[in-house]
Amino acid sequence: MTLLALKGVSFNYGSQLPTVLQEVNLSIGSGQCHCVSGTTGSGKSSLLNLLAGVLNRPHEGEIWRNPKLVTGLVMQDPQIQLIRQTVGAEVAFALENLSIPTEQMLAKVQLALRRVGLYLRLDTPVSTLSLGQKYRLMIAAQLVCEPHLLLLDEPWAQLDDHSVSELLIVLRNLIQGGMALVLVEHNASAFADIIQHYWQLEAGKLSAGTYTVKDTPPVETPVRRSQFNHLGRVLVSAGAFDFGFDGSPVLFACPQGFQLRAGEIVTLVGDNGTGKTSLLKTIAGVLSLRQRLPFKVLGRRPKLGIYGAELGLLMQRPSRQLFETSVLAEMQFSLKRFGLPKERAAQMLDELQLADLAELSPHKLSYGQQHLIALASLACLCPKVLLLDDPLAGMDQYYHGKVWHLLQRLSSQGTAILLASHRHIEHRVVSRQLSLRNGLLVEDPMEMEARYVG
Amino acid sequence: MWVSCRRSHRRTRGHWSRERRETAICSLSLLFVCVLSACAFVLPAYLLLSLAGLNGLLVIHGLLRRGCIFGVLKLGLVQLSITLSLYLILYGVAHLAQGAIVVARIILATIPGWWLCITVPPERIGEVLSAFLPTKWAFVVAASLSLLPYMADEIREIYHIQCLRGARITPRALRNPRNWAELVYCVLFPVLIQLLKLSRQMAIAAQSRHFGLNQRPTHWHSPRDNND
Repeated sequence: MTLLALKGVSFNYGSQLPTVLQEVNLSIGSGQCHCVSGTTGSGKSSLLNLLAGVLNRPHEGEIWRNPKLVTGLVMQDPQIQLIRQTVGAEVAFALENLSIPTEQMLAKVQLALRRVGLYLRLDTPVSTLSLGQKYRLMIAAQLVCEPHLLLLDEPWAQLDDHSVSELLIVLRNLIQGGMALVLVEHNASAFADIIQHYWQLEAGKLSAGTYTVKDTPPVETPVRRSQFNHLGRVLVSAGAFDFGFDGSPVLFACPQGFQLRAGEIVTLVGDNGTGKTSLLKTIAGVLSLRQRLPFKVLGRRPKLGIYGAELGLLMQRPSRQLFETSVLAEMQFSLKRFGLPKERAAQMLDELQLADLAELSPHKLSYGQQHLIALASLACLCPKVLLLDDPLAGMDQYYHGKVWHLLQRLSSQGTAILLASHRHIEHRVVSRQLSLRNGLLVEDPMEMEARYVG
Repeated sequence: MWVSCRRSHRRTRGHWSRERRETAICSLSLLFVCVLSACAFVLPAYLLLSLAGLNGLLVIHGLLRRGCIFGVLKLGLVQLSITLSLYLILYGVAHLAQGAIVVARIILATIPGWWLCITVPPERIGEVLSAFLPTKWAFVVAASLSLLPYMADEIREIYHIQCLRGARITPRALRNPRNWAELVYCVLFPVLIQLLKLSRQMAIAAQSRHFGLNQRPTHWHSPRDNND
């Protein structure tokens, strides 16, 4: 049974602006799973919004909906979709709007939460959940209405591998039960088991197939050195410690401590909610806990603002930090404040082949471009320590290539890089991996020969 | 079978009465807070001490409910320093006490609102407001209240990011009034942009969860026990 059909649909956000979707044709039937891929900023999310019927701007062409169609939309960033303060109230919001009697809500809310593997108290504050848990909460908030068509924007980027495999089981069951699914996903292979129709969106046109990167910046092959020559000066060190928020139980323990040396790229891998972000913030001195942790960063106890240009921290959603009127000015801001040559910003844009963005407003850039500009602003400073919180989330392969190119260059200049991710990163420039699992922070053994220090 | 049905019926009845009781308590709390906040502005100065005593009880209750009063205290201190500075410049030392009373009135008007946010979930306030406001307006008020902790976190994070980027907005740098513009430029502008984006995205999020489909939505009441 056809649930929704687009015939020759074109759409843009303003008459003066380029067309986002051009002559799009798509038909979605019950029990089908479609996957749309494309470059960052190609209009995939706009397509999902159009399918969900939440775009208020007019469009050309015809959209036919089954009169009984119930759609559920989960956008890329779960943070901006949270409406309530507790888990139970968040999931129940849709039921309230459908006027489901109060006494029937509890069972439905609990079932929806279990379907996405969230075993939490209903009064758990949503602010305490990790980004990945929030994404699953958003899926539960849609599943509670038992939609005929579920639209998911980049689930792989937000979820750890365990959550993805759990979600796959849920989605497979839902599809077998007749629900249709449309995924917007850079990494379609993660959902290959359930996807039946592959689409790629390029220059506003939707065609069958999977989007592949045509022009990825090359990453130079590292020069491998002997075991002991690898190890640069220790820039970050931590003795054995137990990490926990004030008044809360221990989140994880690190019985052996860890070190970060000049020129290393170390990954910090752990599932959603294990404490990666908090650890990075503590190292940068942003998060100050009552408990004194045995951390030394550049020879000093971490404190906000004492390292100047020597330490950089890229938080999640770095688009929040943008405020200047042009990309170049945005990149020059820190250079000016730290008394470094302003020319570095233009050189960096040239190096990343982004010089044509220099005079554009940073707010008009795509998500991937904003992310890269924020990272490049930090890279301009040539910091001694660079802490990155999930810098690859939501980026396509093209931008991945640019990020790795940048990281490799910094590493070769002696920057120690700690990169947090909820997924194991297979890349030859990674020197070591710290793992956060089962409440323990430990170093994962890696072949020394396979290590790379720039 | 008959016994279990009767138990179930009794449980349902009990559940309903608890919900109504919660809504009634929220209505009374809302009224109480409005009256108390209004009193902070209309009462004569000599009665402010009694009002402060009442507010003190609210603070104790809020703290027992794991509320954090530091935000209100910080706001009070900033307000106090700015107001007293202005009174000193405009009216001289003789009128400083008047400036302090003005600040005291503002803090006393703020504390009941803080207490309400700690003790009553925003959706319950939305439920009460929907009795005499259009549903959309009640939702906007409840959603705005829900967003307060998130926005406070966002402001803190943006402030930290900009400090790390070298912005002259550390407490020490802000002692120099010439750096105040940087705080507006680096923190308030991004926060405003975030707010604009957020309001648009939240409207889409609410719409995608069928908001506005029914004129009389029902209301969620979280069970107090056996939540899992």
